[in-house]
Amino acid sequence: MDYKKDDLVEMLATGKMSRRKFQSLLGSLGIATVTLPVWTGPARAAAEDHPDVLTWEGWDIPEHHQEYFDKHGEYPNFSIMGDEEEGFAKILAGARYDVSHPCSYKVEIWRDAGILQPIDVSRLDHWGDIVPSLKQIPGMTTADGDVYFVASEWGHTSVLYRPDLVDPKYQEEETWGILWDERYAGRLSMADSLIDGVMVAAIYGGAEDPFNMTDAEVEVTGDLLRKQLPLLRYYWTSPTDIENAMAAGELVATSSWNDSYTALKGEGINVKYMNPKEGAMTWVCGFCLMSAADPEKLEKSYDLIDAFISPESGVVTIMDEGYGHANAKAFDLVSDEDLAERGLSKNPDELLNSGIFQEPIGNEPVLQGLFEEIKAGL
Amino acid sequence: MSASPSEPVRATRGGVRVWFMRSESARGYALLSPTLVVVVLGLIFPIVILTTLSFWKQDYVDIIRTFTLENYSAFFEKKIYYLILYRSIRISAFVTLVTIVLAYPLAYFIAFHVQKNKIMWIILVTIPFWTSYLLRVFAWKVILGYNGVINSGLISLGLISEPLEFLLYNPTAVVITLAHAWAAVAILPIYVSLEKIDRSLIEAARDLGESAFMTFVRVTLPLSLPGVIAASLLVFIPTVGEYVTPTLVGGTRGIMIGNIIQSMFGKALNWPLGAALSIISMLTVTLAVCVLLGGTRWFRKKVG
Repeated sequence: MDYKKDDLVEMLATGKMSRRKFQSLLGSLGIATVTLPVWTGPARAAAEDHPDVLTWEGWDIPEHHQEYFDKHGEYPNFSIMGDEEEGFAKILAGARYDVSHPCSYKVEIWRDAGILQPIDVSRLDHWGDIVPSLKQIPGMTTADGDVYFVASEWGHTSVLYRPDLVDPKYQEEETWGILWDERYAGRLSMADSLIDGVMVAAIYGGAEDPFNMTDAEVEVTGDLLRKQLPLLRYYWTSPTDIENAMAAGELVATSSWNDSYTALKGEGINVKYMNPKEGAMTWVCGFCLMSAADPEKLEKSYDLIDAFISPESGVVTIMDEGYGHANAKAFDLVSDEDLAERGLSKNPDELLNSGIFQEPIGNEPVLQGLFEEIKAGL
Repeated sequence: MSASPSEPVRATRGGVRVWFMRSESARGYALLSPTLVVVVLGLIFPIVILTTLSFWKQDYVDIIRTFTLENYSAFFEKKIYYLILYRSIRISAFVTLVTIVLAYPLAYFIAFHVQKNKIMWIILVTIPFWTSYLLRVFAWKVILGYNGVINSGLISLGLISEPLEFLLYNPTAVVITLAHAWAAVAILPIYVSLEKIDRSLIEAARDLGESAFMTFVRVTLPLSLPGVIAASLLVFIPTVGEYVTPTLVGGTRGIMIGNIIQSMFGKALNWPLGAALSIISMLTVTLAVCVLLGGTRWFRKKVG
């Protein structure tokens, strides 16, 4: 079967090739196709030299990590997660990241799963400026003194509502109960999440410790969620879901984080952010170093975490997101007026201690199963 | 003898070549090899993994690799799974019905009444496919939404004073969105089977005194059935497992089995149960397709 190219063409054209020969030629072609190398010389993009970061929607904008860009001239690679459970599932499925951005209540579980490595805080220039209480969150540092979490931003989970569209009594007595008010059926929403959704029901239901509920309390929470389901327009998964709907008046009240309040307020929409009598939830999110981190990118990973906790990043966090920041110096760069408008103050500790601090959820798989069933209408 | 090690090698190579040239099936498999590799790696292999996984058990973050039927018994013990599967089948069946009913007249029109530029019509039909699927879903959100095209249109006409809230975030919105998204997939096979029909058969039926309607029922429709069946399968099978559309427009009442499976592999972190649910829904779809094919065979016998 040694043919020259021209012979082949001629044989094909004149029909001199036997069927068997033609078929074996085609067969060789098949084998050649299969054995063809898939990669034709890897072209290493510059982005590959930078850390891979798993973070929340909105934290990939350059303003949050300008310091990193100034130092390295390029941006890191971002992947977005809807919530930590989704990110966790991705990581367990084999996704590799250098840096991740969970909230504190997830850090212990992540560490137990072996996906985090200790952070050498001496390599972070801004570590010294971090609000002291944010360095002392229980569970973030092991007994041996290994730090696993660098706090970056904190805020609340509470009710965002339209005072012009609901009963004025809610302005006098702010309560999670507005999310169960049947007068607003079809115009309410709640986070599609255990921590920001199911725990809201637990708090409203009066659970002693929402994060470690007794069976009876789980029952009450489940009943509340079932009662709420027909009143909801949808469960939201990203802040943009609720922001447009709140602006349009499609929704009158929803659970939310500070950022939606700041964004809507900035657009001149008449919205208020509650301090419910049952207590708002307080959360702290920050950065972790993954055990799967590429050792060659470790230096840059530290630079990136440092950039996120820099005072400049803090100003963006406070001004644009309306969250508190971990770096105490960031508060000095913002005017008192701007802070007050966002419900913040120069003394972050006061606010941090005001709400119900989010902790690891006991019996998480059972609650997740319950939530799935309730969402399915059972 | 050890001085010529190349000798047997050459013989073997010659042997392989002779064998390859002589064996019809060897050449056949060689020719098929690209397809075979794709099918084995991309279809059979994942199904084997999925099946194996479905007989294992999740223990928080670990998977226990001992044989168990627990995941399958969970399906029958907990109402949630079969109710959602039933809802998915119902939504998909409805989507299929709506798509076919809407697609058939259009395909009929192009096949029988468009004389010039048929290809242009076909291209026009496929235009929605030129944009991303997500964009098409969001387009429906814009149309059906609270401040959407329909609501603001009706308000400006003075027909309603408050926006209608029942348009979006329910199973109907899922059906509307899917029926539009899959329209082209249904139109094309139906068009092809209508186009193939020998026009003289229709003329003969009319000459022999059948009414236009009965000609359609007894000649055109049965002859176009292969296209209709192909279209039904192309729409029904993928839509049962849909999860993007219900997430975006389904609200709290429109979730489907795809959402549950996705959450098992994600948030709920129970891969074996997710695998078992996938297998069960695959088998159920197969069963539903068999019922559909049996039904059309019955219909053909009855009409023919």
